[in-house]
Amino acid sequence: MKKIKKTIQLTFLHVFYIILCFVGMIPVLYAFGLSLSGSGGALSSDLSLFPDKPSFENYYRIIVEEPFLLWFKNSIILSVGTMIAAISFGTLAAYAFSRYRFKGRRTVLNMLLLLNAFPQILSMFALFRLFKNMGLLNSRPGLILIYAGSMCIFSIWNLKGYFDTIPIEIEEASKIDGASDFKMLWKIIMPLAMPAVIVTSVMVLIFVWNEYLFATTFMLSENSYTLAGGLYQLQADDYSRSWPLFSAAAIMVSLPILVIFFCIQKYMVSGLTAGGVKG
Amino acid sequence: MKKRKKLIPWLQSMPAMILIAIIIVFPVLYTGYISLTNMNLYHWFDFKVIGLSNYARALTKVDSGFLSALLTTILWTVFNMVIQVSAAFFIALGLNTEGLKIGRIYKTLLMFPWAMPSYISILLWRVGIFNTEFGLVNKVLVSMGLEKVNFLSRNVPAFLSCMVLNLWMALPFMIMTIDGALQSIDKSSYESAQMEGAGFWAKHFHITVPALRVVIMPAVIMTTFTTFKQFDIIYLLTMQKGALSGASLQTIITYAHQNAFVSNNYGLSSAVSIIIFGIIILFSLWTNRSIKED
Amino acid sequence: MKRILSMIVCGCLAAGMLTGCGSRNNVADTAQEAGGAEEENTVEAVENTEVPGEETEPVEVKIWHDGDEAIMGKIEATVNEALKDQQISISFEKKSGLTDQLQLYGNDAANGPDLYFYAHDTLGTFVEMGIAAPISDVAGEDVFSGLLPMTVEAGTYKDVQYFMPVYFETLLFMYNKALWEGEVPETTEELYAYMEAHTDTGAGTYAVVNQHSTAYNVAPFINGFGGAVIDKNGQPGLNLAQTIEAVEYNKKFAALQADGDYNTVTTLFNEGKAAAIIGGPWLVSGIKEAGIDLGIKSLSDFKLPNGNGLAPFSGVQGVGVLKHAVDEKKDAIAQVLKVMAGREVGEALALGSNCAPANMEAYANPEVEANEMIIAIKETAETAQPMPNIPEMSVMWGPAEGLLAAVNKSGEDVKTAAERCQQDALTAIADMQ
Repeated sequence: MKKIKKTIQLTFLHVFYIILCFVGMIPVLYAFGLSLSGSGGALSSDLSLFPDKPSFENYYRIIVEEPFLLWFKNSIILSVGTMIAAISFGTLAAYAFSRYRFKGRRTVLNMLLLLNAFPQILSMFALFRLFKNMGLLNSRPGLILIYAGSMCIFSIWNLKGYFDTIPIEIEEASKIDGASDFKMLWKIIMPLAMPAVIVTSVMVLIFVWNEYLFATTFMLSENSYTLAGGLYQLQADDYSRSWPLFSAAAIMVSLPILVIFFCIQKYMVSGLTAGGVKG
Repeated sequence: MKKRKKLIPWLQSMPAMILIAIIIVFPVLYTGYISLTNMNLYHWFDFKVIGLSNYARALTKVDSGFLSALLTTILWTVFNMVIQVSAAFFIALGLNTEGLKIGRIYKTLLMFPWAMPSYISILLWRVGIFNTEFGLVNKVLVSMGLEKVNFLSRNVPAFLSCMVLNLWMALPFMIMTIDGALQSIDKSSYESAQMEGAGFWAKHFHITVPALRVVIMPAVIMTTFTTFKQFDIIYLLTMQKGALSGASLQTIITYAHQNAFVSNNYGLSSAVSIIIFGIIILFSLWTNRSIKED
Repeated sequence: MKRILSMIVCGCLAAGMLTGCGSRNNVADTAQEAGGAEEENTVEAVENTEVPGEETEPVEVKIWHDGDEAIMGKIEATVNEALKDQQISISFEKKSGLTDQLQLYGNDAANGPDLYFYAHDTLGTFVEMGIAAPISDVAGEDVFSGLLPMTVEAGTYKDVQYFMPVYFETLLFMYNKALWEGEVPETTEELYAYMEAHTDTGAGTYAVVNQHSTAYNVAPFINGFGGAVIDKNGQPGLNLAQTIEAVEYNKKFAALQADGDYNTVTTLFNEGKAAAIIGGPWLVSGIKEAGIDLGIKSLSDFKLPNGNGLAPFSGVQGVGVLKHAVDEKKDAIAQVLKVMAGREVGEALALGSNCAPANMEAYANPEVEANEMIIAIKETAETAQPMPNIPEMSVMWGPAEGLLAAVNKSGEDVKTAAERCQQDALTAIADMQ
C-alpha cells in the first residue's frame, strides 16, 4: 500500500517536472528551431517550432567564420580566474566573519550589503578612469579584478550563511588535534560547505560567462572578447542581426554552462548531512 | 597575544576587503566626486567642482513621476521576490524527494534560462514570445481563433510580461540556492518528526522553513537588491530606442536613466545616482527593521 | 604559540593567494602579449613583403564603426589597395554603442581609434566634447570638391567641416513586384486607400509596413507637413501645429502597419506578408536572400494632401578625425581621407552594397547610373533634409519616439502627448548644460 502511494507520488512529480521543464524550455526550443533554419531563414509567422529542412549551417558558420574558439578560450580564462579569486578571497573573509566575534563585524557585514545596492552600471566610468591610470585597460587581470570585486560581496555573504550552520564543535575537536585555521578551513569546513561553495562558484562563473558590457568596453580588440561580448558586438543592433545565427550562438554559449552544471551536481551534497560527521 | 587574536579575522578578510575597496567603494566615492562637478558634454575634459548645485537640480527630478516609479519598483520587487522564493522552494523540495532518480536532468534543464546571456534572452522573448505577428503566444492565440494581443503596449500587461520574464530568468538561481540549502538540513530531524506523526505541511513548516531561512537569507537579500535595481528587462522589452512598445512603465532606475543619463550630463546624473543610492539604503534599512520585528 | 603560528600561516595564505593570483595573471598577461605581438608580426610581415626595402614606416590607421561589416570591408579593401605603395593601411573595428565608447576612448591615443565612421547626426556631440578635429587640420579644402554639396553640408557644424562624407541614405518606398496590384500611387491618400483595401490585420497580411513609431521613419510625414523634430537652433518642435497634424495623419497609416518594430516589419516584407515597406538600402541583402523582385519608388514622389512630397531625412555616413590622431598620423590620415572621398570607393560601395556615394564622379559609371535604388536615393536626397547634427538631436529621439508610441500604440490623444513630450524634450535639453 505504502509502495503504491509512493509510486503514484513519484509519477505525479515526474509529470509535474516534465511539464515544468518543457514550459521553461519553450523559449530555448524556439531559439533552437530558429537556429536550424539555414542562413536564409528568418523569423516566421507560421506556428511551428522547427523548420522543414533543418540544417546545422549556422553552427558551422559561427565556429568557422567567427573567432568563436578564441572567444571561448577567453571566456574560460576569465571565468576560471575570477572564480578562483572571488571564491578564495570570499571563503577566507566569510570564515573570519562566521567564526570570529570582533568589533565592527556586524557593521562591516551590513555595509557590504548596502554597497552591493549601488547600481554597477554607474561604476563603469569611475573604473574606466582608474584602470586607465593604472594601465589595466585591455588586460585580462584588470577584467578579472573587476569581476572578482563585483562578486566578492555576494560570495562572502553566501558562504558565511552556510558556514554559520556548521557546528563549531567539529572544529573544536580538530583544534585539539592541533590543526591550524587554514588547514581546518581547507580540510573540514570546505567539504562540509560543498553545496554553498558550488552554488557560489556557479553564480560567479555564470556572471562572468554572460557579462558583456565590461567585457566589450574594457577589452579593445575583437580577439580578446569573451563569448557573450563578442556576440554582443556582432548582433547587438537590429540592423545587423541575423536571427538564425544569433539563436545558434545563444545555444552555443549556454551549453558549456549546462554541461558543467550537470557534472558538478553529484558533489552538491554536504559532508555534514551525508553522514560523515554529525554535530 | 590577545591583541593579535583580534587581528586574525581582519587579516583573513583583508584580500577581499582590498578588492571590494577598489572595485565597489572607489566608484561610489568617485561618483560622489563627479556629482560635485560640472562635467557634461560642454565640459568633458575641463570640468571643475561647482558645489552642490547638481543636487539642487537632481532633487527637482524627485517629482510625481519619480514617486510613481518608486511605487512601481516596490511592487515589482515584492511580487517578484514572493513568487520567486515560494515557487523555488516547492520546486527544489520536490526535486529532493527520495526516489526521484532523474532529478539531475530536471535540475540541469531548469538551469537553462540562467545559462543564457540576459540580453539574448530578453530579445528572444521580445521577438519570439511577445511579438504581435510571430510571437509564440500570439501564434497560439490566433490558431485558437482569438484576437492578437499586444502585451507590451499598456502598463499592466507589460508589467506582468516583464515579471514573467524576470521569473523565468531568476528562478534557476533561487532553485539552486534552496536546493543547496536543503542539503544542510539534518535528515534525522525529519525522522523524529515522522514518528510524532507530523504531516507534510507541519513537517516542512516546523523543520525545513526555519532551517532554510538562515542559510538562504543572504541570497534572498542579494536577489532582492538585484530585482530592485533591475534595468535590462524593462528597458530592453519596452523602451529600447527604436522599439518603444507604448507602455510607460518606469522603475526608479529606468526613470533615472531616462531623465538624467540620456543627456550626457555626468555631474547631474551622478547626483541622481547618489540620491537613488541613498533611497536604496533607506529602503533596505527599513526592510531590515521589519524583518527583525517579525 | 599556536595562535602565532596560525596567524603566520594565515598571513602566508593571504600572501600566497595574492601572489598566486598575481602569477596567474602574469600568465594571462604574457599570453595576451604574445597574441598581440603575433598579430603585429603578421601585419608587419604582410607589409614588408609588399614594399621591400622601402624607407617610410608603415602606418596603420585605426577606425571604429558601428555599421554594416560588409560595407566597411569594401571600404577597407579599396583604401588599402590604393595606398599600398605608401605603406598606409586602415583597419575597421566594430564597436556597438559607438557614442558611449567614444566618450571613454575618444581622447585615448593608446587604446582609442584614430578615426571613426558613423552617421553625421552625432557630429555635434563629438565636437562639443572636444574630441573631433576639423578636417582642415589634416587635409586641404580640395578633398570636398568632388562631393555632393548636400553631404558636405551635413558634415558642417558651426560653419566648420568636421566630417568627411562617404555615402548617404534616405528612406524609400520598396515594394514586392509580385504582390503589388496595379500602379504604385502618386499621393498618400491613394496609398491609404490601397492599404485599407489590401490589409487584413487578423490574417497578418499587410499592404504597406513601416516602423511607424520611430522618429526617423515618420520624419517624411513630419517634414512634409512643415513640422520639425528639432529646428536648427536646437528648439524642439514636437508641439508645433504642423508636427501634431503630421503625427495625427501618420496615426491612421500606423493602424494598418502591424506593430512597427523593425524585426516585425522586415520579416513581414521578406516573408511576402507585406506588399511594401518603407525602408532603406540596408534591407536589400535580406530581401535578395528572400528572392523578392524588388520595386522602388522615391518617397518624395508621394504627394501629401497639402501638395508637398514626403520628405525623409537623409543620413550621411562618413568619417571624422579624432584630435589626438592629428599630431601622430596627419599625413597618413590625409591620404586615407582623399581615397575615401574618391571615385573608387564610391563605385565599390555603389556596386557592391547599393550605397549612394557622396562622390559625384561615381555616378558617371553606367552601372551606377542603372541602379534604380541609388538613383532613387539620390533623387530623394535633392529634397530631403539632412538630419540635424546639433548635440541636442541626440536627446530628441527619445521624446519624439515617446510621442509616436503614445499616439500609435497606447491611444493617447495627440495634443496632450505632444505637449508632454515637448516638455520632456525641453527638460532633456536643459539637463545637457
